[in-house]
Amino acid sequence: MIKLLRNLIKEPMFVIGSFLFLVTIFAGLFGSSLYTASPDGMSYDAPSGDYWLGTDNLGQDYVALLLRGLQNSLFVGFMAGIIATTIGTLIGLFAGFKGGLVDDILNMITNLFIVIPSFVVLVLVSASWPQGRSLVLIAVLIGLTTWPWTARSVRAQAASIRGRDHISLARINGASNLQIIFKHILPYLASYVFMVFIMQVASGILSESAISMIGLGPIGEGSTSLGVILNTAKNNSAITYGYWWGIFPAAIVITVIVFALYLLNNSMEGVFNPRLRK
Amino acid sequence: MIFSKRVICGLFAASFALLVSCEEKEAKDSEKTGYSRDQTLYLSGSQWGDPNTFNPLVEPWLVAWPANDRFNIMYEPLTAYNTITGVTEPILGIYQKELSNTEKIVVDIQPEAKWSDGKPVTSTDVKFIYELGKRFPQASVSYINEFVSEIKVDTVNNVERLSFMVNKKARNNPLAILDQLQAVRIVPAHVFEKYLADNNNDFDAVKKLKCDKDPVVSGPYTLDQYNNERIVLVRRDDYWGNKVLHEGALPVPKYIIHPIYKNNDHFAINLQKGALDASMNYIPRISEKKKDGVSTWYDAPPYFVPGSMHFLYLNHTKAPLSDKKFRRAMAAAIDYSAISRLALSNYTPPMKPGLIMSSGLEKKYYSEEEVTKHSVSLGDKEYAKKLLAEAGYKAIFDKDSVLKHSIGPNGDTLPSLLIKAPAGWSDWEAIVNLVVKQLRSVGIDVREGFVDGSQYWPALPSGDFDMIMRKPPVAVTASLPWNRFNAVMSSRNWRPVGDGNSMNENEGRYNNPSAANYNKRVDDLLDIIPLLSDEDSLKVAYAELNNIFLDDQPVIPVCHLPEEYYQFSTKVWDGWPTEKNQYAPPQLPWVGSGINTLWRLKSVK
Repeated sequence: MIKLLRNLIKEPMFVIGSFLFLVTIFAGLFGSSLYTASPDGMSYDAPSGDYWLGTDNLGQDYVALLLRGLQNSLFVGFMAGIIATTIGTLIGLFAGFKGGLVDDILNMITNLFIVIPSFVVLVLVSASWPQGRSLVLIAVLIGLTTWPWTARSVRAQAASIRGRDHISLARINGASNLQIIFKHILPYLASYVFMVFIMQVASGILSESAISMIGLGPIGEGSTSLGVILNTAKNNSAITYGYWWGIFPAAIVITVIVFALYLLNNSMEGVFNPRLRK
Repeated sequence: MIFSKRVICGLFAASFALLVSCEEKEAKDSEKTGYSRDQTLYLSGSQWGDPNTFNPLVEPWLVAWPANDRFNIMYEPLTAYNTITGVTEPILGIYQKELSNTEKIVVDIQPEAKWSDGKPVTSTDVKFIYELGKRFPQASVSYINEFVSEIKVDTVNNVERLSFMVNKKARNNPLAILDQLQAVRIVPAHVFEKYLADNNNDFDAVKKLKCDKDPVVSGPYTLDQYNNERIVLVRRDDYWGNKVLHEGALPVPKYIIHPIYKNNDHFAINLQKGALDASMNYIPRISEKKKDGVSTWYDAPPYFVPGSMHFLYLNHTKAPLSDKKFRRAMAAAIDYSAISRLALSNYTPPMKPGLIMSSGLEKKYYSEEEVTKHSVSLGDKEYAKKLLAEAGYKAIFDKDSVLKHSIGPNGDTLPSLLIKAPAGWSDWEAIVNLVVKQLRSVGIDVREGFVDGSQYWPALPSGDFDMIMRKPPVAVTASLPWNRFNAVMSSRNWRPVGDGNSMNENEGRYNNPSAANYNKRVDDLLDIIPLLSDEDSLKVAYAELNNIFLDDQPVIPVCHLPEEYYQFSTKVWDGWPTEKNQYAPPQLPWVGSGINTLWRLKSVK
């Protein structure tokens, strides 16, 4: 494990990805507490000494909004990632390990979710929830609609391990299915599941941004997210009127987080996957 | 690396070439239209979808500009109301104020008025459209029967004099008839009677005719051509009104083109470019467009002439909104200056409480003294908190001063109230965001509820809301402010919540006629005011009604906005009416008296 970590640290992609991600995590966790927002100004004040990144349509300091938005987007991304990874991993493990009818049924459910466009489901469910769409609700919705690809890939991995000797040995020694899955298969796939989780977080952040961008994101006090910031800018024609600060900082922050997560995932794959290992 | 540089350079060159070709294409498109720019006026904001029919008998919301309601440019009404002077100006008819009373409204037909086929405009044409509802109840003008019992025709000095008799048995409202004089477009009876005869008197079959080929009109312009991108009108040099109404002058632009834009951004961009000469839609921060030659009625805030109130309607059938004290506290808690500054680009003047505007033609009915006596202090959070505390309401905040919930006078936790507004309406969304922030800060548990239009519009008449943003369909006409009071406070059509689409006034269900606390005086005043003619009696009646409004606070006015935004570019055309040059009201030159602008514009070339 330590050797793997050492190898990871040697990867420039990992170092850059970790640095960027830690910066965003730090900004998300502590930014709002450390940064004192300027009092509300005018609509779309340009960046200045008072407002480093200008103000939004309601005269609110964009830096403060971005920090709060970052925090909430990360929250949604992580929560959605945890839900999607958990569901996808469990279904994938059971389907891959059990095979037969269980595999067929779980596979059918997974394929069903794959062919139903998850974003459309997300939009429809969000739209039917006009009252109090909280961050948690959005995260749960994203998590519940983005697990199928995780399930499919974990199933393939689990199926490839199912026939190995140590699994047969555990079975002969009387280990239950659950024991085999969680003690003997899951640890083998831990690094893979972690990489999947990273991409699920990135996907959660992007899904939240997309759904918020079309006006179906979280509503309520303190629920500003990066997508909500973009939606407000879009609704107020920020680009048309040249208020670039309404769009670009939020778009850049989303890009940086997703890019950092992509770098982390890619660098881990290069180290954890024996076929790709240098 | 060299290859990469080449690729990047190539991409830049391709992008540049694409941009240049787009510019050139635009210029060529302009040439291709065949309409010389210095003879063509580009106006927009009244047609959003594809133009499907120009039949004036079809429901107004289905008819393309300018054959639908409000527009005087092809089919004309009898009169036009000047929203600045308050004068009912002549078009096809001349309003005889001295002869009009609570029994009848009298109008003389212009003897020189003619249709484009040379036939005179007569009382037959007027009676055809005004009485169409009696023949065909499904006609969109059938509502007129509630106001006009019959139209009597006399001839005085060879001029046809029409007496619109007030329907005493129905609405008994001469004020509303005065509004109809400018709302109803007169159509050629000889043309439409023929259509009816050709179709066996089948009104629905006649409605299917598009009326887009050589229409017979009485107005100064007629339809030249149209497609899904624009509607083009061409000037009628033989328009009868040039001589009678405009001292023989022709309207200056030979063509009027209404480009059909799909979203608000196009208006701002094209106004700034000079590709659009005037528009009537909301464009935020208009002051920043001045450098590009875009102007408004006033040079400074509020830029536009206030004419309409936008409200927060409250559902009186739900607690705590049924509590007058709670409603008054809400009105006090809202920071109206912040709404004007942040949500509306300073387009609304400082808010005065009540339903009577303190400016313009309504000013004569506004009494600062009465308003101060009855109103809560606006934008005063501490006062709002005091009102809530006195009424027994409590608020529970967390350690970060974020409202957790509110508790009512009987100790129950109050439900979170939702403010419905259509998603994507940026000005209303901003208003709702600010109102939510302000109300929550004093301990009133409200939330934003932005919904799709398909959920918003049905929610209004059925009462499916806690609170809802609403601009009642009240135009600036002779009947203001009565029509505003009527739209907000009338119980005439009171229906219980959920009762279909039948309640189109007072959608918040204020003053239930079957409730024990029903205030009959409100409906009595709404019935009496249209029958009053002397100003002193009107002032007293309006003051009483406004005081009831302020005491009860059935809805919360959040801003005073223009009835119609009016912004224009001076890049191609100049001479637009403004505060300093008030020869016409601030309207696009196809509504009401705004049409006079067409004779006063000057080509910048």
